[in-house]
Amino acid sequence: MTSLIIQIAVDAFLLGGVYTLMAIGLSLAFGVTRIINFAHGEVVMFGAYAAFFGFALLGVDPLISLPAVAVLGGLGGYLLFKSSLDRILSDPGINMVLLTFGIGLILQNLAVVMWTGDERSTTPSYAFASWFLTDDVVIAQGRLIAFGLAVVFVLGLLAWLRWSELGRATRAVSQNRAAASLMGINVHAIYALSFALSSAFGAATGAIMSFLLPITPFMGFPILIKAFAIIILGGMDSIAGTVIGAFFLAFVETAIAYLVPSGIGWAEGVAFFMLVLMLLVRPNGILGRAGREA
Amino acid sequence: MMSSRIWLVVAAALALALFLPPFLTPGLDDWCTRLSTLLLVAISWNMMANAGLISLGHAGFWGLGAYTAALFANATHMPFWLSFAPGMLIGALFGVALAYLTGRLRGLFFAISTLAMSEALRVIALMVPKLTGGAEGLFVVDEIRPDRTTLTRFALCLSVGAIAASYLLTKSRYQFALRAMRDSESTVQMLGVNPRLYRAGVTALSGALASCAGVISAWYTGYLDPHAAFDLKITITSQIAPLFGGLYTVAGPVLGSIAILTISELTRLHFGYSAGVGLLAYGIILVFGVLVMPSGIVGLAKRWRMKMGRLGAAATSRA
Repeated sequence: MTSLIIQIAVDAFLLGGVYTLMAIGLSLAFGVTRIINFAHGEVVMFGAYAAFFGFALLGVDPLISLPAVAVLGGLGGYLLFKSSLDRILSDPGINMVLLTFGIGLILQNLAVVMWTGDERSTTPSYAFASWFLTDDVVIAQGRLIAFGLAVVFVLGLLAWLRWSELGRATRAVSQNRAAASLMGINVHAIYALSFALSSAFGAATGAIMSFLLPITPFMGFPILIKAFAIIILGGMDSIAGTVIGAFFLAFVETAIAYLVPSGIGWAEGVAFFMLVLMLLVRPNGILGRAGREA
Repeated sequence: MMSSRIWLVVAAALALALFLPPFLTPGLDDWCTRLSTLLLVAISWNMMANAGLISLGHAGFWGLGAYTAALFANATHMPFWLSFAPGMLIGALFGVALAYLTGRLRGLFFAISTLAMSEALRVIALMVPKLTGGAEGLFVVDEIRPDRTTLTRFALCLSVGAIAASYLLTKSRYQFALRAMRDSESTVQMLGVNPRLYRAGVTALSGALASCAGVISAWYTGYLDPHAAFDLKITITSQIAPLFGGLYTVAGPVLGSIAILTISELTRLHFGYSAGVGLLAYGIILVFGVLVMPSGIVGLAKRWRMKMGRLGAAATSRA
């Protein structure tokens, strides 16, 4: 029994790292621009495919190709923002939703047309290896690596936001767009930057997912939904809230998967039920700072 | 006079909907049924959008309606037309529940919660196999299924009814309150309108219409499974049609639905059934629509008519 509890805790912790990766990019872009990028899941998917082709064609380990994939993702995100979203920033919110949704649809089905719906995955040695903590407590190596990278990403992002000049400008825009603009900050450039960064995180997440999940053109949407749930659970607008939301969701899901009969199927829906529940009892998230009228 | 003319148009459309189906080829018959279901969800989506509520959960209404009708019909062997009553009622109740749950949530947050609710419904349908048949799906008892012609007649009549309802809504005084809610619910409240009540009303009506489409599809295919009944594609098409045709207008969803279905037929003729191409086309339409023609076909037509009007005015030198 104790080993079961330890196993649940270990699994939940590692899953929390994975979920943090899924949500952090979306959370950054949303916090700054107040636009939810419905194509974020597809950015993750393209990152996973990039890592896959690097692995399958060039024999590059996904962890080695990760920086390159992230840079490509960032460039892609920048171009995406400049070519579409930047032009309709003053439109009502419905257009942002529909536009990014449409972009996601295009990216997803381009992938279907180019690469078919077949499942693929990268298979570095650590993808299948695990350590035995005790006789019946297992740590999957791939997830541990993902957890470590999640820690690095979050700390890196927080440090950048806190201490760099651009990071300070980004925080300023996120707090008050008009005031930041009056202080001489180029709001559009900061928007583009945060979108690029968000996409870079998304693509890097994809490279990590390439050895954790099957890679298909449809992998993005469930990731996007999880990320939504996490952001709302965490209270929408802070990196810390996102991390808390990710671990909260991971713990509930893992506990249900282990403890409830046929819980693995139900665990898939936990994010949605928690979302609905959250809206009922605490519509402002765990940290409780979200705007109701946005 | 205006209103008597609209009743004439509705009567003519209904007569056509009843008269036409026996003469349709199977291909056209199929097209008409799909057009009716698309019209219903498109009008329903547009109705919510008109009140500032962006839904990403119309697949939820659709699936709920389809499952409710099929389960009721299987249990009681009721005639198929009667099954629309529980299907639409549950859809409307779910709409009210949605309005209550989302409270004052607006825009993005409303959109995300509708998406979550429809996905939650899909998981429930998958995980309660005793009731819904789970992943294996659910067959509608064959002997109570209507024949093609009857169903097409019924579907066309329902979509005519939906168009009429959305027209009457825009002519009623509620339209002003709903349109104002799109801009700001708190301002509307200050003006003495209870936004909660209106939100519940519009989500109930819209939910009933979207579930109605689900009921039609359940009878049409005779088989349901969670992935098809709560397919995200339903949500996607229900928002593309009004956007392409013209948001917040009566004609928009109608023109948009016809255009979207025609385009999807053309891509199918051209590319066969190769995976992804149809949805790729939808994505391109969506992006193109938002960036280039945000007021849709109706907006283009209006601009064109205004230009013509100006030319005409210049020609008769009345300007």
